[in-house]
Amino acid sequence: MFEAKVKAEIIKAMIDITSHLINEAKLNVRKDGIFLRAVDPAHVAMVDLSIKPSAFEDYRAEDIEIGVDLDKLGGIMKLASSSDVLSLKYEESTNKLVIQIGNLTRKMGLLDTAGMPDPKVPNLNLPAKVTLKASELMQGIKASEAISDHIALIATKDGFELFAEGDMDTVNLKLPKDLLMEFEVPERCKSLFSIDYFSNMIKPIKGSQPVTLYLGNDNPVKIEFDFADKNGHAFYLLAPRIESE
Amino acid sequence: MVYVRRKIYQKKLFRQEKTKVSPCLICRGTKLLCGKDRCPILVRLSFQAKVSTKINSLALEGSSPPSVFVGRIGYPKVAIGPLVPPILGDTSFIDTPEKWNDITIDRFVDFRSHLVRGRYIVDVHDVDSSNKIVEYTRELALSKYPVDSEVQFEKKPSGKISFYDHAQPHGPTAPIKELEIGNTKYEPNIEKAFYDTDLKARDAILELYKKGVLVSSIQKAFSVGAFGEKKHRKFVPTRWSITAVDSIISAELRERTKENPIINEYRVYKFERFDNRWVILMMPTSWRYELIEAWYPKTTWNPYGYDISMYNSYEFYEGRKTYAEIGGCYYAARLAINEALNRERKQAGVIVLREAHPGYILPVGVWNVRESVRSALKREYEKFDTLEEALESIRKTMDIPLERWIRNSALLKDALTQRRIEDFK
Repeated sequence: MFEAKVKAEIIKAMIDITSHLINEAKLNVRKDGIFLRAVDPAHVAMVDLSIKPSAFEDYRAEDIEIGVDLDKLGGIMKLASSSDVLSLKYEESTNKLVIQIGNLTRKMGLLDTAGMPDPKVPNLNLPAKVTLKASELMQGIKASEAISDHIALIATKDGFELFAEGDMDTVNLKLPKDLLMEFEVPERCKSLFSIDYFSNMIKPIKGSQPVTLYLGNDNPVKIEFDFADKNGHAFYLLAPRIESE
Repeated sequence: MVYVRRKIYQKKLFRQEKTKVSPCLICRGTKLLCGKDRCPILVRLSFQAKVSTKINSLALEGSSPPSVFVGRIGYPKVAIGPLVPPILGDTSFIDTPEKWNDITIDRFVDFRSHLVRGRYIVDVHDVDSSNKIVEYTRELALSKYPVDSEVQFEKKPSGKISFYDHAQPHGPTAPIKELEIGNTKYEPNIEKAFYDTDLKARDAILELYKKGVLVSSIQKAFSVGAFGEKKHRKFVPTRWSITAVDSIISAELRERTKENPIINEYRVYKFERFDNRWVILMMPTSWRYELIEAWYPKTTWNPYGYDISMYNSYEFYEGRKTYAEIGGCYYAARLAINEALNRERKQAGVIVLREAHPGYILPVGVWNVRESVRSALKREYEKFDTLEEALESIRKTMDIPLERWIRNSALLKDALTQRRIEDFK
């Protein structure tokens, strides 16, 4: 059973956070909220997302799995403006999600979740923790995109650094620790990442919202943030590139 | 998955190569990047071709294989018309690339040079013209078998042989005055699509491919505007039609590939023809694809260089949004690859490496890429547990050092440097 009322912007945020990695998602709908975890087809990135019942205007659910085509759901969300309140209802007899937008009823066929895996979050050693504004990170990403296809993320005892190197050019974004919202770096950490992936993970975080990065050495980065007025929580894991040993 | 350290590949290996790419390789006679009015390579090849054709009159009688040509110069007013050899009988071989697996380049040039191209200027939108030349050209393009044809020219066919980047070469050309053709029998599936004026061109192409109609036949019919909703039908220059059909079919097959289980090993396929050496590497990953071409100096599209010119185009899982830098070859190979993967119901990441050696002196057409990759993928492959072993096998086959292939390959660089989530426990 699943019946809920929610602002369209919450569903839109869920799509923004996940659809650059996956086309199909398995939503685990439970009493305590909606949960989603998936790995992209190339197995380079993982997304984990949860939305608390408090994000909804109204929320009633018992444990079910809902298989969603995210492109299709995204198309339906274009019919609603962000502040519209939608009704969602799982129709078990037909395996459809009934979406009510004002006077419009849209029934969306759901995907079979049997083949969709439940990926495990690996145990990672990520000693450095840095929290900063997404917009600051985005500036560094934009500058780097023009000259390279990968970036280095570096945390030292003095601060956080984003570095990219092209044939002729370099980009260096340096944020000293007193400019950071949170800063715990017991040792120097450095890993390399694909700009494409990293950029797509920062884009869904709006403007000056905080984002927390957990870094290790030649290890994945964990990118953590809240959305929907802290009623939604998400993290990404992005596997590193390793260029020389 | 076994995770192997890759010490041999040093950091500098991953910088993009800075050697100059021959502008001819990017242009291939289509963009005239050299600033000249006509492509000097194509003109010179045409001039040097040692073929004597016996066409020296205003009238020509022969069986069209069937074959038509739609030019692109002057678009939207283009030259359309039949290709007819001075031979009566079953000439179908002359225009069926699917049958050219065992030919030599000399024989290929010889039989193509006999095809005389008639030219008649029409507006591309004029597919329904009641003009006999337009009508018969279309009928030829839809025919299943060779069609006896009689052509009257305005003047005697001139030129020896014309080469193109995408299309196959043909012999002398002349403006057409009159065209008469014998009985035609349409390929039944093509005929059905032709009369269905509500069926979208894309759907028609996919339907015909599914029914087993040869890709080259679909391309011919597409070039005369035989498919699509009535109001959208128009003539499509032969070179665009070849790539449009390759692109549409391969994109559809690719989506099916993505539903298949991923292979469990690294595979290396090898093939050689026309002094082109092909190696195809399949990797146990989700769909991704790259074509890398290496042109030796003195080969068709690297005529003046002293260095080997290398060039690549690639896509990851989501495909491309822009036209491939490398041109129509990219889509022709993508078709052959997805065809093979779907035959086996498998998914893989695929890299095609092509070394064009100095014996490859003529541009034979994109069919060479499609058919070579098809042939390669029908052969036995070598099987490896690791990428390193597969790369060592490639090193042995190719003359260009492996390190240089890696420098010029987005997918190999990715495979060697990008870790996956499951590499971390």
